[in-house]
Amino acid sequence: MINALLIGLIAGVGILDERVLGSTLFGRPLFLSVFVGLVLGDLKQGIIIGAQLELVWMGIAGIGASTPPDYVTGGVIGTALAIMSGKGIGIALAIAVPVAVLAQSLGVLVRVVNLYFSHKADKYAQKADFKGVALMLWVPTTLFFFSTFIPTFLAMILGASRINDIVNAIPKVILNGLTVAGNLLPAVGFALLLDMLFSKKMMVFFFLGFLLASYLKLDITAIALLGTCVAIIINLYMNQNNSDKDLINETQEDNANSKLTKGDINIE
Amino acid sequence: MNKTIDKKTLHSVFWRSFALQGAFNYEKMQNIGYAYAMTPVIKKLYDKENDQAEALKRHLALFNSTPAVTPAIMGISTAMEEQNANHSGTFDASSINAVKAALMAPLAGIGDSLFFGTFRVIAAGIGISLAQKGSILGPILFLVLYNIPNFAARIWGLKYGYKVGVSSLEKLQKNGLMDRIMSIVGIIGMMVVGGMVATMLVVQTTIKFSMAGATVKIQSIIDQIIPNLLPLLITLFVFYLIRKKVSISKLTVGILIIGILAHVVGIL
Repeated sequence: MINALLIGLIAGVGILDERVLGSTLFGRPLFLSVFVGLVLGDLKQGIIIGAQLELVWMGIAGIGASTPPDYVTGGVIGTALAIMSGKGIGIALAIAVPVAVLAQSLGVLVRVVNLYFSHKADKYAQKADFKGVALMLWVPTTLFFFSTFIPTFLAMILGASRINDIVNAIPKVILNGLTVAGNLLPAVGFALLLDMLFSKKMMVFFFLGFLLASYLKLDITAIALLGTCVAIIINLYMNQNNSDKDLINETQEDNANSKLTKGDINIE
Repeated sequence: MNKTIDKKTLHSVFWRSFALQGAFNYEKMQNIGYAYAMTPVIKKLYDKENDQAEALKRHLALFNSTPAVTPAIMGISTAMEEQNANHSGTFDASSINAVKAALMAPLAGIGDSLFFGTFRVIAAGIGISLAQKGSILGPILFLVLYNIPNFAARIWGLKYGYKVGVSSLEKLQKNGLMDRIMSIVGIIGMMVVGGMVATMLVVQTTIKFSMAGATVKIQSIIDQIIPNLLPLLITLFVFYLIRKKVSISKLTVGILIIGILAHVVGIL
């Protein structure tokens, strides 16, 4: 019971990261799973599961007006039940991925209900009632909190005692298959990132990063640092070209500039 | 008697800007969060209830942008409100919202690809690679690495936006600094994603066949030609499907099922 409350609280506070706590990303599975692991007494497993969940949801971010799958509820429930069952990453993913999609509808519901508070805020504004407007911020915030706290709390109360029976009833080949499937899932995250950063000219850097890791066995930190150098070098040359042209014709420089950069990063 | 915004008020706007999405709704998005953040400025500049109400209503208009770059827009709004309060009658108050509306979309485009597409990806790439080994350093490094640019953009954006006012962001875009930063981080982001595909997507085929009495494993042949070829091909295929507008939920669930099936029949 206390564990269920604590795990529920982790999910409740986790959703507030992107709401009222400055989007510092502490609500991402990579960080939140640490606390789930702490509460359940298996910190290491929590960290490892969190890493795999982060990979799966790598490409998911609340951009624009869209409501993404609720990785907070999905991640916390998935991590917690997987640690309890002792069966690891495969089970975590099998639970987390569908739960996140289901929980998304609660997030949508809150955003619809918030229309009411938005209209009420307009009324408070008429009277210059600052406290009223602030209240119209904090009530929806509370709703967001409960939209993840309640399902997580319930899942812990209802699922914790049964998760072992359920997991034991699943044939071993399917369980192993889940782990294989779980290893495949990050492909979606990477593809989404590519989609976000995509432009034809930039694709070569994707392959460069891939080759550096595949053949030279460089790790991510090394690639990020090397990438910084490559990017700066390219920029130096780009600027030199530009300033050469600058002497001849200014409009030409504008053209070169837009050719090299404007289309490069493009969110569609 | 001119009214000016002091440091204390700006600090208050800074902290309140964290709550930008607390009352997110589908009609006016982050409007209540924006008005909440502007409240100290409005209270400081206007004494009459009527003026306060007008200002509150102004900032309850539709707003949607990347949280990390929004303080910069708030800084500009603050500078404009200050002008409005000191030159009421000559200053066109409607220009305050016109500027907000003109800035939020382009800044969201830059902000999303910088913060979600690049800084987050680099931080997560490094964090995950450590967390997969169960190291607590992974999650911590993830949070620290992401929040350095996050806080820098928030603090510097608000200050610069207020000091230089409307012309500031236009100037930034005109002199090409923004484009240059975008292209640099875009290159790093692409390389990191490529490296992650090679190191974090574990896909190995178990297919083997007998030839002249010897068992030939397909995977070892692939490894000799291009290591990690399968992860690369799968990522590119999913990327292709995303470009073809296949929904993410379908893709995720589909891969989960395909992964299990592929294991059951013995391909993966």
